[in-house]
Amino acid sequence: ALRRLKNTPEQEVRLLLLGLDNAGKTTVLKQLAAEDISYITPTQGFNIKSMQCSGFKLNVWDIGGQRKIRPYWRNYLEKTDVLIYVIDSSDRKRFEETGQQLAELLDEEDLAAVPLLVFANKQDLVSAAPASELAESLSLPSVRDRVWQVQACSASTAEGLQDGMTWVCRHIT
Amino acid sequence: MFSLMANCCNWLKRWREPARKVTLVMVGLDNAGKTATVRGIQGESPQDVAPTVGFSKVDLKQGKFEVTIFDLGGGKRIRGIWKNYYSESYGVVFVVDSSDAQRIQETRDAIAEVLQHPRISGKPVLVLANKQDQEGALAEADIIESLSLEKLVNENKCLCQIEPCSAILDCGKKMDKSIKNGLKWLLGNIAKDYEAISERVQKDTTEQRAQEEQDKKERSERVRRIREERE
Ligand SMILES: Nc1nc2c(ncn2[C@@H]2O[C@H](COP(=O)(O)OP(=O)(O)OP(=O)(O)O)[C@@H](O)[C@H]2O)c(=O)[nH]1
Ligand SMILES: Nc1nc2c(ncn2[C@@H]2O[C@H](COP(=O)(O)OP(=O)(O)OP(=O)(O)O)[C@@H](O)[C@H]2O)c(=O)[nH]1
Ligand SMILES: [Mg+2]
Ligand SMILES: [Mg+2]
Repeated sequence: ALRRLKNTPEQEVRLLLLGLDNAGKTTVLKQLAAEDISYITPTQGFNIKSMQCSGFKLNVWDIGGQRKIRPYWRNYLEKTDVLIYVIDSSDRKRFEETGQQLAELLDEEDLAAVPLLVFANKQDLVSAAPASELAESLSLPSVRDRVWQVQACSASTAEGLQDGMTWVCRHIT
Repeated sequence: MFSLMANCCNWLKRWREPARKVTLVMVGLDNAGKTATVRGIQGESPQDVAPTVGFSKVDLKQGKFEVTIFDLGGGKRIRGIWKNYYSESYGVVFVVDSSDAQRIQETRDAIAEVLQHPRISGKPVLVLANKQDQEGALAEADIIESLSLEKLVNENKCLCQIEPCSAILDCGKKMDKSIKNGLKWLLGNIAKDYEAISERVQKDTTEQRAQEEQDKKERSERVRRIREERE
């Protein structure tokens, strides 16, 4: 469904990285931009990076996930092409909280039918949950109004991130 | 003249019939060719697909049917989600990689689990014996035998048809005829029993939705309590 013609400027795409605090969103973003990940602190506002991917110009927005700033997520939802939701797969205690947060997001009109990629992050930790457990804890099977995919990854080692972005690029409409 | 009128009446009757909505669930092991198959059905190139670790769906019109196909991930770590889609499915498409004899036991366990599920038993099942273009691909009879298909469909009262096919041959109008025939068979059998399946689907889906609502409420309550304790 790419409506891009040859010689036209590359299509700009808006990607949104959301998820609870400490999920690893900023680490994902910096890895994707091939930047140093040694000094990352909790995000108070947002970070944005632009990158190329299969002929698209991806503008990736990373918004802070601490509870007190989560209400501001709403301001960033409009015109989002793909939602990337990042989970700390080792933090089972917070699966329900992050699941509920995601469910609230998916109910937002601005995100209706927007494809969803879940980065099941921190797979380098032995305690990381597998995809089906995550999917069920997040109630993903009840999401029928859009395509969704779980991508296991580790933002620390960058493993799985490219595969996730390839999926994202295939699902831009 | 009479026949013309009769034809007209038939035509009118058909025209008045509301479109029949049918949901199908497409499952099978990872790498079997599910996504390639739905792509072909949609008229898109079945080449260059990537593993599904999640859910996608396609909507299409087939005669008087409005068909929705759920294409689910088949990998070991995601297979657990299949059961969530059974209640709203009118029938099953189970895709097999016929060229992978090594995984036929795993395939057999997987299809047995699907057909034995209380929300699937009794519904029609199409088995696509895919990748027939590969050398050494198991033929129809081999697959029936190694999957113990006969026993399985009899025990679970599932009407079943198996179609040897190749999903990557071509797409759209030029798609492998066996896949088209298989789908036609499946929809035809669903049509014959439409009212009954429909009733069952509605009952099961209502139950499942109620359960989901209940779970959601309980989760909300738990999350609220944890937050209060933390803050
Ligand atoms: N082991 C491991 N740790 C990770 C991984 N990704 C991120 N982390 C660590 O998790 C912590 C949080 O990472 P951030 O990228 O700041 O998380 P965030 O989602 O941006 O958090 P907020 O900005 O508060 O919303 C940091 O200590 C990271 O080093 C990973 O894949 N594996
Ligand atoms: N030779 C041959 N290859 C096929 C055929 N159908 C699919 N493939 C290839 O098999 C691989 C897997 O196909 P998919 O459609 O992704 O398989 P899937 O069942 O959706 O797998 P999951 O999404 O992981 O569950 C791809 O490389 C396809 O190109 C076929 O009929 N013949
Ligand atoms: Mg951050
Ligand atoms: Mg697939």
